[in-house]
Amino acid sequence: MLVDPAALATLGGTISLAGGLVGSSWGMAVAGSAGVAMLAQNPRQRKNVIILASLPMSRVFYSFIILILIVNTVSPSLNAIAEPEGAGFAVLAMGIMASVAFAVSGIYQGSVCAAGIAFLAKTNGKILTNSITLAVFVELVAVLGLVFTIIALNILGLM
Amino acid sequence: MNISAASLAILGGALALAGGLGGAAIGMAMAGYSGVATLAIDPKHLKSVIILAALPMSRVFYGFIILIFVLTTVLPKIYLMPEPGGSGFAVAACGLISAAAFSFSGIYQGHVCSAGISALIKTKGRILTNSIMLAVFVELLAVLGLVFTILSLSLLDLM
Repeated sequence: MLVDPAALATLGGTISLAGGLVGSSWGMAVAGSAGVAMLAQNPRQRKNVIILASLPMSRVFYSFIILILIVNTVSPSLNAIAEPEGAGFAVLAMGIMASVAFAVSGIYQGSVCAAGIAFLAKTNGKILTNSITLAVFVELVAVLGLVFTIIALNILGLM
Repeated sequence: MNISAASLAILGGALALAGGLGGAAIGMAMAGYSGVATLAIDPKHLKSVIILAALPMSRVFYGFIILIFVLTTVLPKIYLMPEPGGSGFAVAACGLISAAAFSFSGIYQGHVCSAGISALIKTKGRILTNSIMLAVFVELLAVLGLVFTILSLSLLDLM
């Protein structure tokens, strides 16, 4: 079976987008189920619950950036390098790496946001800032996954 | 499909970074849940919580060091070896070792940090130094994973 290198590269991009979508939907669902319980108790916390429950959504955009970069920039330059098949496989490996970063960080950021939501009523909403701070630590992993994918594609001369 | 030696090596580097990103995300989230709960009770411990929750992040950078080594140093040498295919597979295996080291040590360092964070209030913050010391034991495994990967790549004459 001969697989076109551009097809392998596009597969890498779509795997990274799939990881981002799974991570955000799972994370938002975890935060959302805590949010429903909190709003049933105390409907005045709706604004804070919406802020905390929407934090894992950013994965979708990070992984979409990677797909756009691969389709627009990497695929046309694949055939220009010495060994296109190997390069296609390398882009697929980068996509898998980014997908792991987005999926795992999204799911676990959702759990941190859920912990924050669960304490909203007890602290009268004052936990919001602190729980956003701790959720941003997990966000950082997703951002670093995006940045390191772009750096690695640069080092391979594909961008 | 013909998989080139270079693409297997890149897959190894990408796996190492993926393990680092996953371990860091899960570990920071574990510490983050306890952090949110501790801050809900006593917001004065914000500094100590941030220090303890950020410890598992170093995995990301260790994984990135391995990916950079593979892309810049190992790749040019792989075709000078007598058997490039075998060397490519060896680099993929080394990436797998470090992926396991980074992900497990990240997850379980998160558990240690989480235990430290939940004891912060009871000890009025004095547990910080001791829990950092115990977390560094787990950190050592990640550092050894990095060092042994580099050592074995040197033994294979790939660096």
